[in-house]
Amino acid sequence: MSTEMADIHDFVKAIEPFNQLADEVIGQVISHISICYVRAGEALPPPGIEQPHVYFLRKGALAYYNGEGELLGKFGEGDICTVFCNNIDERHLKVIPEEDTLLCAIDYQQLQQVIKDYPYVLAFFMDSAAQRLQHKVASINEEAIMSSTLMNTSIGDFYHAPAVTIDEQQSIQQAAKKMTELGFSCLMVLAEGQLAGIVTDKDLRRRCIAEGVDFARPVSEIMTTDLQLIDINHSAYDALTQMTSQHIHHLPVTKNGQLAGMITVTDLMNQEGLNAVNMTSTIGKASSVSELAKIALLLPRLQIRMAKLGTTADHVGKTISAITGSFTMRLIAMAKQEFGPAPVPFAWLAAGSQARQEQFAHSDQDNALIISDDMQPEDDVWFAQLATFVCDGLAACGFIYCPGNVMATNAEWRQPARVWGQYFDKWITQPEPLALMHSSVFFDLNTVCGDASLLTNVRANMLAKTKTNTLFIAHLSGNALKLRPPLGFFRDFVLIANGKHKKTLDLKHNGIAPIVDLARIYALSEGITAVNTIERLRLAAGTPSLSTPAAANLIDAYEFLGMLRVEHQVQQLQANVEADNYLAPKEISRLEREHLKDAFKVIKSMQSNRQTTYS
Amino acid sequence: MQNLFDYFFSIERQRIKLLARAPQGPIKEFLKVPFPDPQQSLAKTPILAVDFETTGLNAKQDKLLSVGYVNINNGLIKLGTSQHSIITSAGEMSKENVIIHQITDSEKAKGSQLEQVVSQLLTDLAGKAMLVHYANIEKSFLQQACMELYGMAPVWPIIDTLALAKKQFDRQQKHYHPSQLRLVNLRADYNLPAHHEHNALNDAIATGELLLALMRHYPQGLHTPLQQFLV
Repeated sequence: MSTEMADIHDFVKAIEPFNQLADEVIGQVISHISICYVRAGEALPPPGIEQPHVYFLRKGALAYYNGEGELLGKFGEGDICTVFCNNIDERHLKVIPEEDTLLCAIDYQQLQQVIKDYPYVLAFFMDSAAQRLQHKVASINEEAIMSSTLMNTSIGDFYHAPAVTIDEQQSIQQAAKKMTELGFSCLMVLAEGQLAGIVTDKDLRRRCIAEGVDFARPVSEIMTTDLQLIDINHSAYDALTQMTSQHIHHLPVTKNGQLAGMITVTDLMNQEGLNAVNMTSTIGKASSVSELAKIALLLPRLQIRMAKLGTTADHVGKTISAITGSFTMRLIAMAKQEFGPAPVPFAWLAAGSQARQEQFAHSDQDNALIISDDMQPEDDVWFAQLATFVCDGLAACGFIYCPGNVMATNAEWRQPARVWGQYFDKWITQPEPLALMHSSVFFDLNTVCGDASLLTNVRANMLAKTKTNTLFIAHLSGNALKLRPPLGFFRDFVLIANGKHKKTLDLKHNGIAPIVDLARIYALSEGITAVNTIERLRLAAGTPSLSTPAAANLIDAYEFLGMLRVEHQVQQLQANVEADNYLAPKEISRLEREHLKDAFKVIKSMQSNRQTTYS
Repeated sequence: MQNLFDYFFSIERQRIKLLARAPQGPIKEFLKVPFPDPQQSLAKTPILAVDFETTGLNAKQDKLLSVGYVNINNGLIKLGTSQHSIITSAGEMSKENVIIHQITDSEKAKGSQLEQVVSQLLTDLAGKAMLVHYANIEKSFLQQACMELYGMAPVWPIIDTLALAKKQFDRQQKHYHPSQLRLVNLRADYNLPAHHEHNALNDAIATGELLLALMRHYPQGLHTPLQQFLV
């Protein structure tokens, strides 16, 4: 065999994943190639080919259909048709050229033999869509870990040890003395040698001095007992995410389950320059809305920076959501200064993507107020003022008003817990598809600021009902199936179900939202309180609603789509273009298109499962 | 049709006659194998797509530079069977030839002797139809080489994509410029991808692909009898 076949060599070399093969291996691949030409309308395989073959398209177009004649996808020049490989569920598929088509056919068995030393290339052919996606997402996550400093830094590298503790019997004053002597802003409180709580500068101020508590009382009376801990084996990044999402500044560190020390926000800040922690801290110090608005200008830059560090979409979403939460908290504090203290307890709620911790820069605001049932009709004036102040403030910071008016300024969404309970009852027990579509945002709520128990109670009642109401779940499923992923790509277009082409892929509505919807359904069916999509999927894994492997596949698909979205938006933010979700196929490599197709397949199969369960 | 049929039979008769007086060696071995049956379908006919690169158009004066070929079986171009040989010759190459064929003198020096290449080609051609684009060149240069080497030239059943394409123009009574019959232009006409010209093997493969694309004019496609394609 000659090595002179420049045309074929260049052609094969340009096809991912073959570009990873050494030239002599490409030569071997070529030696097994049969060039064939199939007329439009004549089904593959062509006469003379009996064993399963892989086809590289040099010219023309192939369309493939399932047994029912439904179009599943198309292949254009440079695509690889693997329909005839060993995947059993794809054997009944029909592949028909739409134009006269010139193909390089290669016996699948022989190809496997030739590329046996290239497991990654081999995996492209042997693995299922879900497996390929898993490899891809694993490698993305690895890169993210490798490239981020915070992720590279283990808590063990910079935490304060040994743990500085005080016994719960000691007085508040003794605690304050110890903190002053050591220059610490926080002590861990032990009861019978076991960690029982922590006490911080803030606790001394708020729970002791402000309340006029006698400082001879035991320190246990003012400590925080609702403890967040972190294991020493976690990365600095995990600590950051935990702190920003829980709005805390101190984390006790455990080693083999035993208390080992402490890390603080300041420790993290010292680990990295411009970052989420810095930003949260400047937000906390801002004294006017205009100052906040200036800080908010940094948000797109932070998103760019995180993306460049290779941070996963999950982390970007959590960080941006946490920062939005900090803005909101600061605005609420300012409002309280202006309008006086709240007449009754309340909680400011985030809805939708912010609640799910999946928010990106330039999102719109979705929020609501849940107020104690002790509220009197005249109290609403105060809450209306608060809502207007905070929503206007958020708008000044670049979070545009919600087009659907899901905001605390809307009296409908500024209600006592009892009314929220009624809302959910109505949505769940008398479900109507349209009403459900508009209210789905309220099934993703979390408390940004205020009395978290208000939402916790409403949610507990809500989940008790959703778990048992199959009609509600059926309607929710029906709505979720309205957003379908496309079939794939054809040449430089997005191929949609009816065989039509679109110029761009709507990553949000045709990729991310369907998974978010599915995760919500699983969570509501199984009474899961989490609202973050990945957490919902993890918690639903292994329940009757979702098998463990299916959950893993959906998480991979979700992370991959999220990564493409982060990268797409970074390109736009850097070009000073408003970030959107419309991805043109030309922006991404052929291989990424293949991975996207794999993600679509995963979503489609889970949507079909829903359909068979509830139709 | 009947004429073609007769013509082919005369070629098969010529083969038998020539075999009787062929000297021992490659020519005789080649002529021993019967030519493909013209009644059988193209799918069943073993085909060798061949291309020569030469220093000019005149077989008597110009030299053969390189030979490329590949088998086509059942409508499949088998790249694993491809051959490409550069021929060593005493004379230096003109600059023009270096540019067009991208074969340098040093490469040529490392090449094979004409006899070696021609005898291998004859072995690989035995029992097959020879596919070329513009038969005159390959036919005349191969005849000339055989005369020089063995003192006798055999005959070959030939499929010529240029002749087949021309027939289509004529049948449709289309006006065409002769340059439209060039391999590169016909390939573009038939919606085939661009190829690296002036490399014997690439051109042989390109000719094979053009033959497959030309099948669109034959309602029976690859089941059309061979005789309809022969020169």
